[in-house]
Amino acid sequence: MTVSKKIVLLGHFGVGKTSLVRRFVENTFSDNYKVTIGVHILKKEVILPENQVNLIIWDIEGNEDISATRSSYLMGSHGFIYVFDTTRRSTFEHLEHDLDHLRNHYNNVPVTVVGNKNDLITPAHLRENRPLFKRADFFTSARTGKNVELIFEDVTKKMMS
Amino acid sequence: MLETYKKQYLYPKVQFVVITKNGKVAESDDSLFPLRRGTDITGFHPFFESILPLTDRAGEHLSYSCVHIKDRICDVDCRTFKDKDPLIVIHDLTEHYQSLQTVAQKRNETVIETEVLTLQNTYLQEKEAFKRTFIANFSHEIRNPLTGVFSFTEMLEKTQLSDEQYDLVEIIKSLCQDLNIMINDILDLSKIEVGKFFINNEIFDFNALLESINFIYSTKARQKNLQFHIHRDENIPQYIEGDRNRIKQVLANIIENAIKFTDKGQVALYVRLNNKRANKINIQFEVTDTGIGIAKEDIDDIFTSFTQVHKDSKYPGTGLGLAIVKNLVNLMEGDISAGSEPGKGTSIRFNLRLKFPLHHKPRQIKNQEEEGNILFNNRNKYNVLLIEDNKISQIIVLKILASQGSFFLDIAENGSQALDRIEETRYDLILMDIRLPDVTGYELATVIRNTPEKKYAGTPIIALSGSMMGDGKKKYKKAGISDILQKPFKEQQLLKKLKKFLK
Repeated sequence: MTVSKKIVLLGHFGVGKTSLVRRFVENTFSDNYKVTIGVHILKKEVILPENQVNLIIWDIEGNEDISATRSSYLMGSHGFIYVFDTTRRSTFEHLEHDLDHLRNHYNNVPVTVVGNKNDLITPAHLRENRPLFKRADFFTSARTGKNVELIFEDVTKKMMS
Repeated sequence: MLETYKKQYLYPKVQFVVITKNGKVAESDDSLFPLRRGTDITGFHPFFESILPLTDRAGEHLSYSCVHIKDRICDVDCRTFKDKDPLIVIHDLTEHYQSLQTVAQKRNETVIETEVLTLQNTYLQEKEAFKRTFIANFSHEIRNPLTGVFSFTEMLEKTQLSDEQYDLVEIIKSLCQDLNIMINDILDLSKIEVGKFFINNEIFDFNALLESINFIYSTKARQKNLQFHIHRDENIPQYIEGDRNRIKQVLANIIENAIKFTDKGQVALYVRLNNKRANKINIQFEVTDTGIGIAKEDIDDIFTSFTQVHKDSKYPGTGLGLAIVKNLVNLMEGDISAGSEPGKGTSIRFNLRLKFPLHHKPRQIKNQEEEGNILFNNRNKYNVLLIEDNKISQIIVLKILASQGSFFLDIAENGSQALDRIEETRYDLILMDIRLPDVTGYELATVIRNTPEKKYAGTPIIALSGSMMGDGKKKYKKAGISDILQKPFKEQQLLKKLKKFLK
């Protein structure tokens, strides 16, 4: 059975949401940062053992304040991927608060939390920020492709369960 | 007229599309995108696939800003009606949003760059801290073999040697001293940089300090046919409260440097009273020389670690001396500056805010035995326990104590053996390495002090330490250690410590 599901990538600007989507959909990566304004919408099929899922991926502009995200972008979402940048503290220090916001407003929508740019951090940095990083479901690198497929699979499984 | 303008500027930017409930294109003016009647709008762009399920209910007005559709950036309105098909209105605002993109790009890049720089700086600091700890530990490890070389050279010196052999031994001793100074410099700098360097203020004889400086550096200056003089304000009190050893270290470093870089003429130390109020005193020290001088553009570098302004092999060195000086002066709440003229000489000036006692009774002059070489009277015998795992250190202590004929020495190689020994024998004094294989000296001293019946409550415990990295006096006193002797130590230094506690 084929179904369509809308997922939205959330998080601060510059955390690598677009890079993760490009890596997942096109298997490409660029070091040049181009800010996303508004929303880019892409589509990719994910095949699970029991289902074929058309993911409609909303790659929205980053926002430091999750409550200021345009609600029209989130309307009708089936899943969220919350991305933070492991190298920039400002993108994950309010993670718990942002996740609370999602729980309060989109209670039934599953969330996969992702720490991106994992290739740029040292073990010492990882240890130091462990208390803040503990909410992450995956650590990814859009540059190397590490765990990128997995996060989309994870959110798809959560949506389908 | 207006209709003409609308046709020219508005209509080409807005597209009206009517779709059926199941997403088929019913009507489209195709102003922006060609949408063939009857085709599925969800197949045109995934955006429409996302919003189609939301058009189920009548009377809805869904509004989306800044949606990238194909190569345009659009605002999209979708209206649903009770008895009509849904209407989608697409506004092309590409130009407007592109101008916003430029502003956002600049702003985000600035924020990200700042945060990345902060992270890189943190990494650099971590790296530096690791390097400093490594250097400190490495220097500490060098001390053990150096203690061995130093002590055995002293022992060798006392054997029957030919003149030539004696000269060679003297050279080895001198090289050991140089090496020891370098290690001490590195350790000092490491301790300062990690904030584990402490200033110990105590009342000391300022005149005696200057006399000692005068004696040492007049001799060194004479060896280079230079003159060395101290000019001192007479109204500086004889007794000062401050860290005598560190003040001496600062002066020694600056004067050594001055002598090193001066080939003819003189080196002078001026000690001036800046001001004196209540028990506070501000003293200015200035060392001048008639040496090779420093170029104006290099003058700021002389207080930087590992920097040598004169790279000529004629002037060897680690480049640490003046960096330590600057740090020490700052730790003693003073300021330091330098002035120089190439070919004419250099002047380094610093001031220290110190205290002086209003009424001070100097201690009685020590007896000759304490001032000169220590000798034990071999009629008295003392039981000494040495807790040390390093074989070379064991032999050194054994040889030094054996030379006096006044000691019975037992050796324990770790904390566990030491506890067995002190249970079996009553010791008059314990010598203990701080780093043992199974326990630290601090932990062991506490256990020894608290043995049943407090048998060792009053027994002197002297710690032998390769480094006092972060181990202030407070720490060893708290552990019940009576005194500490830093490695590498000379025979007389060890004997003096023993004499202090075995009177």
